[in-house]
Amino acid sequence: MIVQELVAIQDRCGYLPDEELRALARRISVPLHRIHEVASFYPLYRLNPGSSVTVRVCRDMACHLRGAARLKGVLQALANEIGPDQVCVEGVSCLGQCDSAPSAVSINDHVYWGVSEDELKKRMHAAAAKETLPHQHGNRDPLGWKIDPYDGKPRYEAVQKFMEKRDADGILKSIEVAGLRGMGGAGFPTFRKWSFVRGTPGDVKYVVCNADESEPGTFKDRELLRRTPHLVIEGMLLAGLVTGAKHGYLYIRHEYHDELEAFEDALEDARSRNVIGDNILGSGLTFKLDIFVSPGGYIQGEESALLEAMEDRRGEPRNKPPFPVTHGLYNKPTVINNVETLAWVPSIIIHGGEWYKNGGTNGATNGATNGATGMRFVSISGDVKKPGVYEVPLGQTVRDLIFNCAGGMHGGQKLKAIATSGPSGGFLPTFIPADKLPPKFAKEKLAQGAKGLDILDLPLDFNTVGAMGGMLGAAFVVYGDRAKMLEQALNCVEFYRNESCGKCVPCRVGSQKLVDIMDGMLQGQMKREALPIVSELGQTMTLASICGLGQVAANPMLTLMKYFPEEI
Amino acid sequence: MGDLVRLKIDGQEIAVPATKEAYDPLFKKHVTIPTTIYDAAVALAQKSGQPNPIPILCHREHINPVAVCRVCSVEVKMGGVPGRVLAPACYRPVENKMEVETAQTNERVKTTVRCVTQLLLSDHPSGEMPSHEGDNELDVIARRYDIHGSPYPRAKEKRAHDNSSVVIAVDHNACILCDRCIRACNEIRDNQVLGRMGKGYKAQIAFDLNNPMGDSTCVACGECAVSCPTGALLHRKEVEADPWQNVSPRPGPVRADELSGHPLFEGVSVPFLRWNEGSVVRRQFKKGDVICREGEFGSTAFLIEKGKVKVFLQSPRAHVQSRDGWKGLFGLIQKFTSGLVSRSRNGQKDEKQPRYIHIDAPVALELNNPIAMMSEGDIFGEMTCMNHYPRSATVVADEDCTVLEMLRNVLYILQRNKKSRAWLDQRYRDRSINNHLRGVPLFADVLEDEEEFQRFVNYLRLRVELRRLTPGEVLFRQDDPADNFYMVRVGFIKVSQRRPGGEQILRYIGPGGYFGEIGILSRLPELAGKVPAGVRTATCAALDHVDLVVVKPGVFVALNEHFPKLRQHFLSIAEEHLRRDQENKADVDGVALGDFLQQGLMNAQSLLVLDLEKCTRCDECTKACADSHDGVTRLIREGLRFDKWLVASSCRSCLDPYCMVGCPVGSIRRKDSREIHIEDWCIGCGKCAQNCPYGNINMHGFDETISDPLNPGRKIAVVQQKATVCDLCESLDGQPSCVYACPHDAAHRMAGKELMEQVGAHN
Ligand code: SF4
Ligand code: FES
Ligand code: FES
Repeated sequence: MIVQELVAIQDRCGYLPDEELRALARRISVPLHRIHEVASFYPLYRLNPGSSVTVRVCRDMACHLRGAARLKGVLQALANEIGPDQVCVEGVSCLGQCDSAPSAVSINDHVYWGVSEDELKKRMHAAAAKETLPHQHGNRDPLGWKIDPYDGKPRYEAVQKFMEKRDADGILKSIEVAGLRGMGGAGFPTFRKWSFVRGTPGDVKYVVCNADESEPGTFKDRELLRRTPHLVIEGMLLAGLVTGAKHGYLYIRHEYHDELEAFEDALEDARSRNVIGDNILGSGLTFKLDIFVSPGGYIQGEESALLEAMEDRRGEPRNKPPFPVTHGLYNKPTVINNVETLAWVPSIIIHGGEWYKNGGTNGATNGATNGATGMRFVSISGDVKKPGVYEVPLGQTVRDLIFNCAGGMHGGQKLKAIATSGPSGGFLPTFIPADKLPPKFAKEKLAQGAKGLDILDLPLDFNTVGAMGGMLGAAFVVYGDRAKMLEQALNCVEFYRNESCGKCVPCRVGSQKLVDIMDGMLQGQMKREALPIVSELGQTMTLASICGLGQVAANPMLTLMKYFPEEI
Repeated sequence: MGDLVRLKIDGQEIAVPATKEAYDPLFKKHVTIPTTIYDAAVALAQKSGQPNPIPILCHREHINPVAVCRVCSVEVKMGGVPGRVLAPACYRPVENKMEVETAQTNERVKTTVRCVTQLLLSDHPSGEMPSHEGDNELDVIARRYDIHGSPYPRAKEKRAHDNSSVVIAVDHNACILCDRCIRACNEIRDNQVLGRMGKGYKAQIAFDLNNPMGDSTCVACGECAVSCPTGALLHRKEVEADPWQNVSPRPGPVRADELSGHPLFEGVSVPFLRWNEGSVVRRQFKKGDVICREGEFGSTAFLIEKGKVKVFLQSPRAHVQSRDGWKGLFGLIQKFTSGLVSRSRNGQKDEKQPRYIHIDAPVALELNNPIAMMSEGDIFGEMTCMNHYPRSATVVADEDCTVLEMLRNVLYILQRNKKSRAWLDQRYRDRSINNHLRGVPLFADVLEDEEEFQRFVNYLRLRVELRRLTPGEVLFRQDDPADNFYMVRVGFIKVSQRRPGGEQILRYIGPGGYFGEIGILSRLPELAGKVPAGVRTATCAALDHVDLVVVKPGVFVALNEHFPKLRQHFLSIAEEHLRRDQENKADVDGVALGDFLQQGLMNAQSLLVLDLEKCTRCDECTKACADSHDGVTRLIREGLRFDKWLVASSCRSCLDPYCMVGCPVGSIRRKDSREIHIEDWCIGCGKCAQNCPYGNINMHGFDETISDPLNPGRKIAVVQQKATVCDLCESLDGQPSCVYACPHDAAHRMAGKELMEQVGAHN
């Protein structure tokens, strides 16, 4: 209860006064340090009263590329005018509104996107005058996506279908056939995860839907949560029914307040239809669903860190093994799936695994369970004309994505680099010479006589991108030729430095040192001679960090050294 | 211990049980957990006699692994295939057919271990001194991998030091967040004080709500400092290099192992005692040897191991008064000389004298016969030791005896350690409470009948609570609901009131003092409804290390039922309060600071008032004062002005009467007025004179003959020191000499009321 109790105190007092924390410690009888370690860890909490208006401007990838620094400067100037003690302007990590970059701003925890500078200024004045701020709402209309077999109507037919035969194995089979994989980034086969949990003995199991989408450039779950919350609910419910879990939680980032509302509405509706709760559709089966609002931080998206937060501790990733499938929430077997992964389940059950698998085109491998098949959602942002969320078949080429979906390059720029997994995979150049590709990949995938790989030809499927040494995530950030890559890379590493939980040394200290070195290079104080220690540091972070954050934190710099040596 | 698991480490085969026993601190029970690669490496090293190839830093065999430092990283191959990433050997369970490669055989591992060590060195103070042969565990690992300094940029900003704890110094620069102190504090000791705070690179260890260590709930068990591998938490040696160098014969230290056998030291960690060896010594005294002398400064406390000692006040009960010499002989006014007069002889009308004097020992001294005995198991000198106040009494061996003398760091630990505290508290209840309550004037005066008094003590013995406050800790704030009644055993409580224009310090309450009774008087049935249900009228905070005795409201009410005399007394206190409230209807809380001063003046009995219209600033008054007080003036021609009147001051009646703090016997006091008084039982230690920022308190030495407390009937000559403030010395015409000396009739003595009337008349 600590997480929620602290939220309540903050709502009441505006911050977390010491006396309140002491009173809380007494009331729930836990030591003071237990409260403080939580209160001081999460960005949602304030330990000091601070200024009455806090304006936060996203400082990450897409926003940084599109002029966040300028916007922050403008707002800062206004804050100075109003009174710097009264208004504080600060940077914030990606708010999941990258398609509106750089207009991703929060004022007193109201998140605004795509709002003009003038309007932002007006709202700052309003906040300073203690007026109520408007709440921004996004569109909830269905967009005719294939993922939604009900066209926006919460019909819950997949659950009904399950109830007819109660054939959990059949469902697992469909998912296996579909080749559905984790859409949060790791790409772990979903049927295996579910089978693990199903096979682990125990009365108490959990389903957690990870809606803590916080990686810069990633905002697809945002759209799914808002437009198709019923699919997420149904996916969670099916996961529960298949694995034997009777309780599910949606773990959602607190900045997604509009999505939270949409989900709450859908949940209310689901309860009234008796698909969530006791005796689902008269079946005698139970599945409860609750919402856990994250107290903040990118690291909470790491599944074990997320569990730590739910268990009222500092959101630091656990050492693995054991994995959550056997030792998850409260040490019980737990399915943790990303929003999109769960949202695909109903349509797969209704249309069958083959249907999903066949959504893929081009060179995607077919058939094998570890092959790249099916469909997925991508978020595209950066220097493109139409940044946004697109439902695409896996295996689609980069060319398709940038020039068909996203409308081409913005402002007449030429393509310079793409990031295929937010900051975590680093950058790929427009052309990769054969000698920089893994030999196996070069041999198998390059056309006869080709000198290298034109990135526009790269098919986006897990296997191909993996084989060429890249990472396939949900976030495509596109860089035009005006971008200075060292500076962009520094921005990405700073993100990891800012979001590192601080538990393990390679990441905690390494990310800071990497920032110091890169900053030194940018300022011209550090020379290329430092590169060998950067490689060593990068390798150490990759090999020895506890979790994915630290393991990928050096990638922006490492790929820069590999593909853009001239930019250093 | 489960089946055997076979694995290879650097090519060498080893078989270990799959599981081992460990302690689960969360559920406080022993559990079975998997054997780790590190455990296997230990077993292998034992078998082969070779050094363990895996270094550890955040891990130790007796604690549960958290695997945060990653210096134990190893490559794990299954079926010849290396893992995607390295594994922490201290955490990763062993599996059959595992092939483990350490830094000895694997370059990736070696680079990683070196890099992690360099990263840590880049912020650690050791990293700044590459040639420095440090002996902390980080340095040892650095040497092992031939690392000198770090190629990574040093931290731009230095982190804080925390020296607030008496026994442990914290240097956050040296902290690598290995979590060992945290587990030591919470898991091994279950003290629950230490945690991590903040996030990422800014993360730090923190006590409670990030309080300074000395102000936190830390019990100073020392376990964290023992656990720290990098010197971020260090035991502080006492500042004096050798505290015992002037003691002869030189006392020998008591060994840690011996100490830990004593119930008082039992709960303290042995490594801590070992570290502090030399802080406790055993001293032998022959009959008649002086153990400590009143008025001396010191930094130790004593525990009597064997024998009996006598404790007494040597100084005569008297205060300084000026007396006239031969006046007018040859037309000269002789210099006034001073002498000592006791209150009774002086015949000055005063509030009732307390019958007992509270001292820094488990006994109280009777004012008229200040001598008492202490014996085995008694602890004395705590207040001197903790708060550096002068000794309150002289202690002499009454027979040959053995005494443990300990420094502040040890006493500090004892007071915070659960077991030791229980022992100390038990001693208090068993023994000291009797004398402590006797030293509280409130009780000593009211319960004159010894039998009744004993009944009273017995009643309270188990019903009081004991509480310790750290310097600065707020006990309660003004306007808080009133609950308990408090008595001070050790240290000083600062009482202050919020007023428009500032916080006014009303007084300091020292040992033997009590407070909080007004707030709970409404609980007496007679007063219910008459006295408003209490809220605190002032804020009370600890000025230094304070020990309190707490009487809960229920006990307070019951006390009043059982002891009618006490009840009578409290009722009259309440009556007095009601009457005063009636008199000055003005809401005291609303009175501004300036007006409050006026109020203080109103209560003053004898103010020196200068009529500024007449005063020529000739300074005769000041000179006269100096003349009559051994050349030191106590008078300052400065002060509050009312109209044409200047209230001169012998004492500036500071808003913050700091002079009172630390008087070991509580003889310097502020009464109803703001003037300071020094009572007869002043032992002449000079603490108040030292405290007074204006030098207005003076020490005077007198040759005196007193009866020897050790040899009744005999007299001895002593030089007695006494402190003085303005004593309203009498001169030729019965006026204080300053008034007498004024050639312009500008100086007057008048009571506060008179002055106000004068002022009013002029307006
Ligand atoms: S890698 Fe970084 S984020 Fe992950 S546990 Fe280590 S410090 Fe925390
Ligand atoms: S909102 Fe700015 S990068 Fe995502
Ligand atoms: S000793 Fe294993 S991670 Fe620190």
